[in-house]
Amino acid sequence: MAIQDSLGGAAVAAPARSGARRAGRLLLGLPPVVAVSVAWLALALVVAAGADLLAPYAYSALDLKARLSPPVFMGGGWAHPLGTDELGRDVLSRLIVSVRMSLLIALFGTMIAAGLGTVLGFLAAHFRGRVEALILVLIDFQAGMPFMIIALSVLAFFGNNLVLFIVLMGFHAWERYARIARGLTLAANEQGYAAAVRQLGATPLSVYGRHVLPNIASTLIVSMTLSFPEIVLLESGLSFLGLGVQPPLTSLGNMVGYGREYISRAPWIMLAPSVVIVMTTFSISMLGDWLRDRLDPTLK
Amino acid sequence: MSDRPPALALLAADGLTRHYRVRRPGAMFGRRDLLRAVDGVSFAIRPGQTLGLVGESGCGKSTTAKLVLGLAPATAGTVSFDGAPLPAIGTAAWRDLRRRMQMVFQDPLGALDRRLAVGWQIMEPLLIHRLAGPRDARERARAVMASVGLQPHHFDRYPHELSGGQRQRVVLARALITEPRLLVCDEPISALDVSIQAQVVNLLLDLQEKLGVSYLFISHDLKVVRQVSHDVAVMYLGRVVEQGEADALFRDPVHPYTRALVAAIPSPALGGERRRERIVLSGDPPNPIAVPAGCAFHPRCPWAVADCKAATPALRPMPDGRLVACHRAEATPESRAA
Amino acid sequence: MLSFIVSRAARAAITILLVVAFAFVVMRLSGDPALLILSVDAPPEAIEAFRKAWGLDRPIWEQFLTFATRALAGDFGRSMRDGRPALALVLERVPATLAITLPALALKLALGIPAGIFAALNRNSWADRAAMMASVAGFTMPSFVLALLLVLVFAVQLGWLPASGSDTPLHAVLPILTLGTAGAAIMARFTRSAMLEVLGQPYIRAASAKGLGWWLVVLRHALPNAAIPTVTIIGFMVGSLVAGAVIVESVFAWPGIGRLLVSSVANRDLAVVQSLLMVIAGWMVLANLAVDLAYGWLDPRVRTITSRAD
Repeated sequence: MAIQDSLGGAAVAAPARSGARRAGRLLLGLPPVVAVSVAWLALALVVAAGADLLAPYAYSALDLKARLSPPVFMGGGWAHPLGTDELGRDVLSRLIVSVRMSLLIALFGTMIAAGLGTVLGFLAAHFRGRVEALILVLIDFQAGMPFMIIALSVLAFFGNNLVLFIVLMGFHAWERYARIARGLTLAANEQGYAAAVRQLGATPLSVYGRHVLPNIASTLIVSMTLSFPEIVLLESGLSFLGLGVQPPLTSLGNMVGYGREYISRAPWIMLAPSVVIVMTTFSISMLGDWLRDRLDPTLK
Repeated sequence: MSDRPPALALLAADGLTRHYRVRRPGAMFGRRDLLRAVDGVSFAIRPGQTLGLVGESGCGKSTTAKLVLGLAPATAGTVSFDGAPLPAIGTAAWRDLRRRMQMVFQDPLGALDRRLAVGWQIMEPLLIHRLAGPRDARERARAVMASVGLQPHHFDRYPHELSGGQRQRVVLARALITEPRLLVCDEPISALDVSIQAQVVNLLLDLQEKLGVSYLFISHDLKVVRQVSHDVAVMYLGRVVEQGEADALFRDPVHPYTRALVAAIPSPALGGERRRERIVLSGDPPNPIAVPAGCAFHPRCPWAVADCKAATPALRPMPDGRLVACHRAEATPESRAA
Repeated sequence: MLSFIVSRAARAAITILLVVAFAFVVMRLSGDPALLILSVDAPPEAIEAFRKAWGLDRPIWEQFLTFATRALAGDFGRSMRDGRPALALVLERVPATLAITLPALALKLALGIPAGIFAALNRNSWADRAAMMASVAGFTMPSFVLALLLVLVFAVQLGWLPASGSDTPLHAVLPILTLGTAGAAIMARFTRSAMLEVLGQPYIRAASAKGLGWWLVVLRHALPNAAIPTVTIIGFMVGSLVAGAVIVESVFAWPGIGRLLVSSVANRDLAVVQSLLMVIAGWMVLANLAVDLAYGWLDPRVRTITSRAD
């Protein structure tokens, strides 16, 4: 609805217009930076979804004859458009697979955190008393310690595997969703529709699921657009340090981490994933800012 | 009222009390004050009749409403509805009771879910209590919408697309669709435009006549309370200070607090006689945490004597049957003023 | 005011206790420390002796109390790798971390605050937009990418500065630049929004309506009021100095506590990780406490409002 508003009445007046043309117009109606961001994210999603089809080589395939060959714009050949690494693996193929890995981790992490935080926020607002006090203490703890340090401590104790790592990313910023869910639910319980529906006799599940959640969804989504790039950064930072995604799997941070050994001889190994990280997080932040301005007057 | 057999009452509250522990400002380590939001309130509502509950904000009116509906647990005292005590909060029996007693809120926009069409919200109680299938619920929603004066095309509107009066009609329709015996109306018109208020009040009166529903009507607007109520209870700092048949109470208020409230009604219809002895409330506004000893009203009372600071007056019957909690209730106006 | 200080200090103590509890819970959840630290095929009597030494045969509450008292006394046992007390190992690395983080903090403030004020005073000018784009880049660019770009330019291409190590003061330049520039962008953003908030207030308009010169209004009314929210973000930056240094110290092989943390995590040197966790938490809590007190001092309203809101 908000997007249509920005286009004026035109899009509303011609509902029969084809989907593709509508999408095109929609993109043109956006501020240029946001439009570029959307386009980049769409590309990243397509790449992530079709990674197996798009990657010209298997991401771990060695080509020992073509080790450290430069990308096409630095004098390399079209066989490896973005060059190869120290083992002759195709940088483009690894990049494509890494995009999928990093986006998947960030997506799961964001969804776990949103789910966990929202449920805890609801519980706090529903039960009040001791439950709420305990959850508030946990929120304070989570907000008070840098998550990087918490994550590193957990990794030290538990060692590393992919599932644990994704779950760990799912603890990033859960407290923000919990705060939002608790605050808005308390407001709704105090005076508004939630209290009204509860006194109609609705079960808590239907009060929260059917009424409260849809009402706070836009605020939660805005919060997700804030924490998604943070998880991309966190994951790539930890993987860069060698403490995140472990070889033979590859992620964007992991590529940069291994590429930095060759920074003077083959800077493209680390530059390609770096550019992708920066573009992706920048795009989501831009989109998030824009969404926040449109969707959520309470955050202004 | 109190001399009627309780079996006749649809709802009876007896010694209803709700205390809250509140943290003292600036205090730590759990030092807490006791807030007596409601402190021993008793009343009864007969079928098809209205009890008006009046008092300043903070006097415990809204807490009383929650206790009566069983939305908050009472610290002490009982509420019985249709002869049976209220079931515990959250139980199946409690949930089932919801359809027989409903609430109408002060702020209709807040009480409605802004993301759902109002028609859906009106039929939601039927779906919650499985009283009807979706198609049947829709029919009944349209019927109840008509009875509160909403048009069929309002069904698919969203709350923000309606006027304040229409929204309150939607809230009423939602409350009425399960055919409840009791509606608790907590300041139902104070958020509405003055021009709309009369319409909603008239609608409430019509609905009572047609459906035989009882109201607990909470308001600080004595003019409206007088218009809709059969009986009236006046609350001050969690206690009822005067209670009785509406016309008599408004015609000749006994308690000095009631007198002050009645005298402040801005209406020429009340005549000049009462103007003469108009009471202006003086002193600090009431603080429910620091309730004065003795009669809670004594710091603001023009007729307070030493006794009033020492002993809390009990609610006791006057010759005409009404209940008053004032040590000096029997004194004539002339002797009081002295 | 006294009760304000006491309540804040109590809060800080609770946070510390929570960190201890967190370390304990994570430690116990992670499995049998005996099997974790000794190898699986260690002789049973060695495992038994280890359990006894660490009190693992006693009830969980007793274990927690022992753990907590030792943790609060700073005793986390010895580093697995070189057998020295873990806390000493951590503390001797602190000066190196401060040597890059404090100059970086100064850089953040010296660049970020003027840039933010300038952007706010010239709202919607090209300079404002450029500053805001730069600040978004500061948020979204990972520090290791910025670090490597700086290495690529100043060490690899130009050869002006060393790429890593800690032998000379010159080695500190790139780590400081990395930490400082990203932080400056963030600082600029916060300063700008704090300034814009203040500039929109009625008293600013009233002051300029009275005929005070614009610069006098800015100096006397806008800046002092904008300083109040800015203190929060500065406190947050001070608190997260160490966390921010983890990656940068690793990239530049700088021997601070951030790099120690990474290597201890990689080697699963748990005593050192726990000591680091407590030291970092203690630092964070102190920084937060300082911010709270500075806030109460700058803005008298906070004292009453926050204590009432509790």
